This record gives sequence, structure tokens and C-alpha cells, in this order.
Amino acid sequence: MRITKLNPEEVKSLYQRHGAALAAYACSFGLDHASAEDVVQQLFLKLLKEKHLVPRTPLAYLYGATRNACLNRRRDRGRETDLEPVESWFTHSGGSPDEVLSIQNALKELPPEQRETVFLKVWSGMTLQEIAEATATPLNTVASRFRYALEKLRERLAPDSTR
Amino acid sequence: MSLDDEEMERYLAEFRPSAIRPLVIEATASSVWPLRVAAVVAMVVLAAGLLWFGHRKAQHLREATFTPANKADVASVGRAETTLTLTKLALTDSENLDLVLAEESRKELPLCKGAQSTLKVLARD
Repeated sequence: MRITKLNPEEVKSLYQRHGAALAAYACSFGLDHASAEDVVQQLFLKLLKEKHLVPRTPLAYLYGATRNACLNRRRDRGRETDLEPVESWFTHSGGSPDEVLSIQNALKELPPEQRETVFLKVWSGMTLQEIAEATATPLNTVASRFRYALEKLRERLAPDSTR
Repeated sequence: MSLDDEEMERYLAEFRPSAIRPLVIEATASSVWPLRVAAVVAMVVLAAGLLWFGHRKAQHLREATFTPANKADVASVGRAETTLTLTKLALTDSENLDLVLAEESRKELPLCKGAQSTLKVLARD
């Protein structure tokens, strides 16, 4: 995998373009939005301070690092928080708050790989080919994950679906 | 990807992730040291400036209180004391008076010996 060193401007640009999507992704692991923002901020600050090498397509790396940080944070908290927060980490100009919550819940129920693929494709604008290269996964596997994810979301969001 | 999938993707894309606060960039390790050095230099310069200013002020005060007029006063006081001492000496110990006078003369009067003697100076003129 080709690796590179990000300069501060690149890090800031990545944060501006993908920080919100990464925070929403962090929320899908059960963190409240403030904690999700903290996780993403710490990740980018680490990138700025340590100046360590990252893959040339850093988005997949950032999603992976966000996922790990969220799982670590949840593990550290242990049984501290039993209730998951009910708050919006998405906005929709025409949609109702219920619709937003439905989408969020549906995303949470996806298997982690499928969820990550959906975020990378829909909210970070990567193509399936780029996702396959960035995650070192066969293109067919990535395409299948995405297709299955959409199928599940469609089922989950169908008006007559049982919740 | 089927049309349904594309529609679904477009539908999902209508939802935008909530905005997050801007990245708060703390002073990184590389930028902290120059700041620390600059702060130390500024403090040293400030301390040196204050010391110099204090020294100058003290000097001004000394000069203001020790004017030439005061110097003259001090000299006249010195002379008065010497006269008093010599008078006492003349009354009590006249033997030593000559010695003290000779000593005082050497200190106070110009050197009139050798090339500086009065006769030689007058002869030159």
C-alpha cells in the first residue's frame, strides 16, 4: 500500500470535507454527537501532531481509525452508559426528524463492513473501485457489501416494515 | 447497480451529516519551543531594561543631590574642620604642628620642586 505524509493543510482540508461524515459514522457506534466529535477531533489532531505516515488515499484509513477509536471508547466506558443517545447526527431539509432517526437506526443495524462501505460511498464520495483499493478488498466484495447494505436499508425503511 | 440501488443511494445522499465544530489546533510541539524561547528572550530583555532604567534613575538622583554647590559646601566644611584641628594642635601639641602643616602643605599646595619650582618657572617666563 502506498503511503504518504500529510501536511497540515491537507489534514485541515480532509477535516473540513469529511469530518462531519466521520462524526456521523462514529455516532453509528452508539456514541453521542459530542463524543463522536471528540473522537474525530482527536484523530485529526494526532495526524497533525505526529505527522505519521498514512495511506495515499487516507479516507478508508480515517474510517478505520474512527471505528477503532469508537470501539475503544465504548469498551472503556463499559457499563457506564446503558442507554444509547437519541439525537440526530444527520439533517434533511425536507425530511421529518422521525425519518432521520429511522435512517440512523437502519444504519446502526448494518454489519460494520457494510456500514463503512455505505459511508465511504455515499457521504465521502468514493467510488467502489477506490474503496476496494483503499481497503485492499476485492472490488466484487465491496460491490456486494454495498448492494446488500442498500437492500437492508430499503427493507428497513419500507413504510410497511415492522420496527 | 440496479436503478433501485441508485435511487436509494440518491435518497440517502439527501441526508447530510450534522456539522461539527472546527478543528481546534493546539500549539504543536514544534511550534511551542520557538514561542518559549521568544518568551524567555523577551523576559530577559525586559529585566535588563528595568535594571538599566533603575540604575540610571539612581544615578540621576545621586547627581541631583550632589551638585557642585554642595561639593563646595563639603570642601568648606572640610577646611573649617582642618582649621579647628590645627588650632587645637597649636594650643596642645605645638611640636607636631610643624609636621602636620608640612604634610597638609604637600597635599594642598602645588609642587614647587625641580622643574616645577617657582624660580625656574619665573626664569622661563
